[in-house]
Amino acid sequence: MSQQLILGVAIAYLLVLFAIAWLVERRGGAPRLTGSSLVYTLSLAVYCSSWTFNGGVGRAALNGFDFLPIYLGPTLAFCLGPIVIRRMLRISKANRITSIADLIGARFGRSAGLAALVTVIAVIGLVPYIALQLRSIAQGYATLSATSSVPGSQPLQLDSALWAAAILTVFAMLFGSRSIHPGEHHPGMVVAIAAESILKLLSLTIIGVFVVYGLFHGFGDLFGRAASAPEIAPTFAQAPDRYGFSWIAMTVLAMLAAFCLPRQFQVMVVENVDERHLDRAIWQFPLYLLLINLFVLPIALAGRLLLPGTDNPDNFVLALPLLGQRPIISLIAFLGGVSAAASMVVVETTALSIMVCNDVVMPALLRVKSLGLSERSDLTRLLLWVRRAAMVVVMVLGYLYMRHDSSEVALVSIGLMSFVAVAQFAPALLGGLFWRGATKAGAIAGISLGFLVWCYTLLIPSFTHEPLVAAFITRGPFGIGLLRPYGLFGLVGLDPVTHATFWSLLANIGALLGVSMLERQRPVDRAHAALFVDADNPSDAAQSWRRTALIPDLNSLASRFLGRARTEAAFASWARERGLDPATAIRADAETVLFYERLLASAIGAASARVLVGAIVEEEPLGVEEVMRILDETSRVIEANQRLEDKSRALEAASAELKQVNARLTELDRLKDDFVATVNHELRTPLASIRAFSEILRDHPRLSDAERLEFLAIIIAESERLTRLIGQLLHLSKIEASGAIPAQRALVDLAAVVRESSAAMRQVFAGANVSLDVDIADAEAQVMGDHDRLVQVLINLLGNAVKFSPRRGGRAELSVRRYGAEVELAVADNGPGIPPADRTVVFDRFRQLGDSMGERPEGVGLGLAISQKIVEQHGGRIWVEEAEGGGAVFKIRLEAARVAEPA
Amino acid sequence: MLRRTARRDRFIGLFVLGAILFNPPILNLFGGTVFGWPALFVYLFGAWALIIAAVALLSRTGRAADDEQAPR
Repeated sequence: MSQQLILGVAIAYLLVLFAIAWLVERRGGAPRLTGSSLVYTLSLAVYCSSWTFNGGVGRAALNGFDFLPIYLGPTLAFCLGPIVIRRMLRISKANRITSIADLIGARFGRSAGLAALVTVIAVIGLVPYIALQLRSIAQGYATLSATSSVPGSQPLQLDSALWAAAILTVFAMLFGSRSIHPGEHHPGMVVAIAAESILKLLSLTIIGVFVVYGLFHGFGDLFGRAASAPEIAPTFAQAPDRYGFSWIAMTVLAMLAAFCLPRQFQVMVVENVDERHLDRAIWQFPLYLLLINLFVLPIALAGRLLLPGTDNPDNFVLALPLLGQRPIISLIAFLGGVSAAASMVVVETTALSIMVCNDVVMPALLRVKSLGLSERSDLTRLLLWVRRAAMVVVMVLGYLYMRHDSSEVALVSIGLMSFVAVAQFAPALLGGLFWRGATKAGAIAGISLGFLVWCYTLLIPSFTHEPLVAAFITRGPFGIGLLRPYGLFGLVGLDPVTHATFWSLLANIGALLGVSMLERQRPVDRAHAALFVDADNPSDAAQSWRRTALIPDLNSLASRFLGRARTEAAFASWARERGLDPATAIRADAETVLFYERLLASAIGAASARVLVGAIVEEEPLGVEEVMRILDETSRVIEANQRLEDKSRALEAASAELKQVNARLTELDRLKDDFVATVNHELRTPLASIRAFSEILRDHPRLSDAERLEFLAIIIAESERLTRLIGQLLHLSKIEASGAIPAQRALVDLAAVVRESSAAMRQVFAGANVSLDVDIADAEAQVMGDHDRLVQVLINLLGNAVKFSPRRGGRAELSVRRYGAEVELAVADNGPGIPPADRTVVFDRFRQLGDSMGERPEGVGLGLAISQKIVEQHGGRIWVEEAEGGGAVFKIRLEAARVAEPA
Repeated sequence: MLRRTARRDRFIGLFVLGAILFNPPILNLFGGTVFGWPALFVYLFGAWALIIAAVALLSRTGRAADDEQAPR
């Protein structure tokens, strides 16, 4: 086939793909296409590079089923998709993650250093993988055009691999770095890859069907002839140790690569537009892998049967159709291979260029103050050129590696080298997402140690045609056998990839666990880890940092990288969500700062965004003041709590008081009833006797005069008693009605009051044979009040004293004394006294203690009540105590009038 | 509709089952041919299809539960 035709068809095909991408982007991302889970699934199939297309067949031809673990691994990884991948999606979306380096860096304190380390490893680790794609295209081209099949052996300008590299670089630039998209979404690229994936599958199926049904008579014939061929049959025989550690290692590598390969991360996480697509992808993607592998073994078997002695089984896919004289099918196979290689190269270089740009170049450039980058107004062009340069560098490295690498190594082995390299990200990534204790130092130690082991056991030995390296492989460095790169510490019997997988992952995981556990995590790191590990709700991410800045500053910063229109649209929607007024909001709170940081991160990566935002933000990592404020708030809460307790205590007291009042009211109610009953009784008794005696006088005219006089005397006495009673009742109600103000307020000489009242009562005392001592200790005592009422009180008290003094040897004493600012009047007797329980109730109306003393005393029971009222009206108090020699002493204290105070 | 943790456990279960089925030593039990087809070929693709079908089934039962959560 002519070289021009092949080249023309390949370039035409790539142009068609580019047209698809261009149309999609022009139509605003074609939401119906990019919003479909099928496109998402098909874009994941970028996993199947030319390695699947050509290398898988080659491996199957050499080793039987050995090619399958590469696809079984992702199937297993996707079984865990709803747990692992979903978490990666959520975290990445919340933090606007743009690459796997970004994610790992972001998890460990937005570490720019860690992200840069991951990027460097990814670039170095993937160089062999890209070299593989170039070589596969070159080999295919050579097979088709029937030129020398050894790439790199021709002069540069004729080397098809170089041309392939150049063309693919241009396409990668066109697809991946045409403009800066927020969130690094490349909808056009995704749709083009999905289209390529369909072509890959179709192409391999067409070849498979052609081989099975065109060259053989169906599967039965093919398998039958293979089973009878002596050199192939053993492949299918049962052997207890046919597949061992190598199989397991490849399964593990492929499982990890399914999300650690930068291109897989790009299409699976970064380009994901809807988390729900994952629900279908977790089974559709493995199904795609199954379908594309269905014909790999048949093609390989056919190749071995029909093309015995071929030195390069990787080309069976192309060689078999040629053998069957079907150049068109050969061309389809070549296009399938180109398609697989192109999609892989485009996405991988795009992902790598984003990583290099966002996580290495930009953070470094931004830190160099003299460049003044952070002041430049528009950096989008710079970003694009950095990315394009990164793509060129990656492709050049790939091409150089291809020319230097030994051409004898099969495609699969080169690919596996890259798998081992990217698998080094898995411990930090998975550990970071699921283990809170993973620390930055642990991640750095793990990744770098794993990478060093990878370099030692795989990368350096891959330069086998250097004589130095050959000696290094066979004898070890400086002839130390234990350190041979393919038999480290004497571990022999494993193939190089399995050997390297074991040692590198052991070192990696060991260092991650060991360093993380030994290191003490700072609280801020722990908070950061929690954000990722408990990340199903990352909205409170702003809380561990309290940062503030001016919104115009943030806005102009973001516009430099995203363009003014995009920034303003993004902020407007944020402001709407937060209920801010975009026109007036000036100061950004911590969450708004975080929003801007994430917005920036979506264009230039988390590490760069952190550097930039950090430059204009006032960061307060919870200083002493802040802590004090929190403490203050806490103490305020405690205080409020205490006040509440006080209040409830006061309430309790009030309710207790109320209860008391209530009890008192009930008592009063009872007293009122008693009062009514007593008044009734008191009034009726004299009335009844008056009536009775009057009737006797009316009805018995013949009564003797003596009798008549006696009866009249009784009537008069009872009338007097009635009068007295009514007078006292009126008096009491008058006092009560007049309230607290005494009728008269004048200076009262207490000595005079005492003398007057004792004089008034002297006859009564004499009649009752009770002695009365008057003791005027303070002759000057004066109070403000009503002279007559005070006399009445004393007479009342003296009357009581007479009543309760014993008939013989009765003794009473009336005294007036001064106690500071008060004057005390006391009336003591030597009667039976008043029991303590009754000392307050004696002042109640009609409360007569006579009941308990067997004999009803004279009087109506209003005297003490009236006395108490009068004393209260004078602002004093009256109470009763036990007298010194038994008996009761009523005491009154009144405030002494000022004028009476000695000057 | 499954509870979230139950669904999670089932996916982990499938992962473990797949890891056992897809790897030696189980693999090495299959040799020779079945109806003229290599037994290992039939076994591997069969087990693979089985796991994919199970994942598909499980993701379908779980989706209702996920849709109930508010769209993020």
